[in-house]
Amino acid sequence: MKESNFYSDEFEQLIREKTEQYKLYPSENVWKGVHNSLHTKRKWFIGSMAFLVTGILFFSGKELLAPSHPLSRKLAAAGTVSTDSFSNDPARSGQPEDNSHANFVRLHPVNSASASGRHPYAADFAITISHPVVSQPDLSELLSHAVQLPGEAPSLIGSNGTPAVAMDKAPENPHPEPGLLDSWLVRNAPENQAAHRTADASRNNAETLRETTENTRETAEAVGSKEAGRDLDADDPYLRGVIDNLSARGTQRIHTDGEIARNASTHQGSVAGKIKDAEGAAKAAVDVIGEKSDLSSANWLHDYAVYSLPPSPSRGRLFLQLILAPTANYRNLSGGMVASSKQLGGPVASVRPGDVQSWVDRAPALGFEFGANVLYRVTRNLTIKGGLQFDYSRYRMLAYTSSGQQQQQTANYRSPLGNTIFMDSINAQPPTPSQNPNISGNSVQATLYNDYYQLSAPLGFDLRVLGNERLQFNIGATLQPSYLLNTDSYVLSSDYTSYTKEPTAFRRWNLSAGVEAFLSYQTGPIRWQVGPEFRYQIFSTYLSSSPYPISENLKGYGIKIGITKPLP
Amino acid sequence: MTEEAILQGCLKNLATAQRELYNRYSPKMLAVCYRFAHNREDAEDMLQEGFIKVFSQMHTFQNKGAFEGWIRRIIVHTCINNLKKNKRFNESLDIVHAHGVQVREESVPSIVQAKQIVECIRILPIGYRTVLNLYAIEGYSHKEIADMLDIEESTSRSQYTRAKQMLEDILIKKKILSKPREKSEWLLAIR
Repeated sequence: MKESNFYSDEFEQLIREKTEQYKLYPSENVWKGVHNSLHTKRKWFIGSMAFLVTGILFFSGKELLAPSHPLSRKLAAAGTVSTDSFSNDPARSGQPEDNSHANFVRLHPVNSASASGRHPYAADFAITISHPVVSQPDLSELLSHAVQLPGEAPSLIGSNGTPAVAMDKAPENPHPEPGLLDSWLVRNAPENQAAHRTADASRNNAETLRETTENTRETAEAVGSKEAGRDLDADDPYLRGVIDNLSARGTQRIHTDGEIARNASTHQGSVAGKIKDAEGAAKAAVDVIGEKSDLSSANWLHDYAVYSLPPSPSRGRLFLQLILAPTANYRNLSGGMVASSKQLGGPVASVRPGDVQSWVDRAPALGFEFGANVLYRVTRNLTIKGGLQFDYSRYRMLAYTSSGQQQQQTANYRSPLGNTIFMDSINAQPPTPSQNPNISGNSVQATLYNDYYQLSAPLGFDLRVLGNERLQFNIGATLQPSYLLNTDSYVLSSDYTSYTKEPTAFRRWNLSAGVEAFLSYQTGPIRWQVGPEFRYQIFSTYLSSSPYPISENLKGYGIKIGITKPLP
Repeated sequence: MTEEAILQGCLKNLATAQRELYNRYSPKMLAVCYRFAHNREDAEDMLQEGFIKVFSQMHTFQNKGAFEGWIRRIIVHTCINNLKKNKRFNESLDIVHAHGVQVREESVPSIVQAKQIVECIRILPIGYRTVLNLYAIEGYSHKEIADMLDIEESTSRSQYTRAKQMLEDILIKKKILSKPREKSEWLLAIR
């Protein structure tokens, strides 16, 4: 280091002495900068908040953009829609490729013969539906479930002999449209069917076709028994729409049936009158049989797919709710009746007159809470809830640090509990000699933060006050048993002059009450809510069994954001 | 809180102990930074950076010397590193003959205040001031100064000699010091 003759130069010694006496007090920002770079608490806070918000946004975005439709999900999981069933390959279907059928659904009657050994008339027995009433997956779903029902199921089987519904191509508009079934019925009226089949019918006899039809029906029943056991989510609003539509169409169709039957009879008579040979009569019989078969399919859809579905379980009772709330936290201080020195077993600080809150400088600070609740809808307007929640509460205090004599003075104080020596030099008030003659020397203003980490289990209810199913105004209240995770917060000394840390003074288990009001809005299966909340800690932060005379009750104001989703 | 308790607390990264340490030494250390820095804001920046180093390197302190001295060395090195980032500072170290400093003659109180001495030091050109601070006040040798500032040892000596002479002149012109008839009378003159 220094040359040995440094102090030989008295000028240098003078400079050194004088500069050593010089002191400058940095601004509070310097400490904040140091503190922030050393402690990542705030970074953790910001990080966790960002993670939560990102998670909620992702979850809600996923639900909004791609809602989990029960039918679609079921189809995807079970693979109900097989490539064979919906093959667009003309070779498989046995039909020539026809682009005009792009939106058609073909319902092929069952042929007990294999695909290779199909009866020549089987190809003519296809029912072609233009602009289907029921979308491809929904119809498949309906039929696959319907065959488990008693009665005569329709004879629906793939053209290659596979028991399924054969559809050439998925419709562009999968949703049912009113009036389409009518169109289908008209297109498949006996007159039209007969016109298409006249040429081929002359080469066959009616008996063969009748046998074929009977075989078809038997096979379909066998298929129905295999498919039994698959449930149908009739509760799904979309499927309910399909069913309602079918019901309406079916009712209309009942009236049409008679007319069709009459037309068929007329047509038969007409053919018999015009074609005198046996082939003509046989063809007419075939048409009637085919028509009856088609009507059987439609009747079956009406009778079973609409009305014979199993009763749906009660729905909409249970919900999962995720909540996140930035909060501003504060505290109420009360008490101050300091225990006597006899009680504490040692010297205590003097008693300060007046309200304790007027002796300390405090300000709220930002915290947050997040958690999850399970909601049970008791009635249309009342919902009870319970869950788990993490609360991060904090507030700040203005304090003054000092050095020199003040440290020696504070070191002589006893703890409020009488078992710990105060070693802090952090004062609750400015240490001016007029206010506290024990204090001298320099002091620096400091900001302290009291952090509280709590786990709580809110139990409460929400009550709908105004609104409809989509937009509502609700109020709610909860009781929250809570557990304090940390006990390293500052405790105000009984004479309100100093802050120290006294972990044994803290109450671990506590109870808080919360009230809230919020607006909620339904978008698809998700319900969003936002509104103010107030939370108050009922019991003091400090143990009542301790001689510490001051009570502290935390309170927080927040804006709660929540999303609610029905539980399956 | 004892120094040992503060040390232990800082090693555990306890904010209260760190605050205690900061409160105890920051005024002195800010004065150190202020003598090196261009202005108060720069000094506070140096102090903040220095204390971050102090806390983050606390585990390297081995109780071989005074804790304050250890902190002071970190702060001084932080100041020097900050100064070396300044191009003007590097150039000024190569100037053997500094330009004359305009000093007004002022009457000062008979009792010399530390602040006035410090302010007079701050009047010196930055190269002179740095060497004077390091040698006369912080107690570094010319060899150490040469290593720290990346200059020749002889340069450090010459800079110091001129800095010292210039400071004497300033103090005399400001009537903070009386010109002694003998060297031994310096202290008597100002006390």
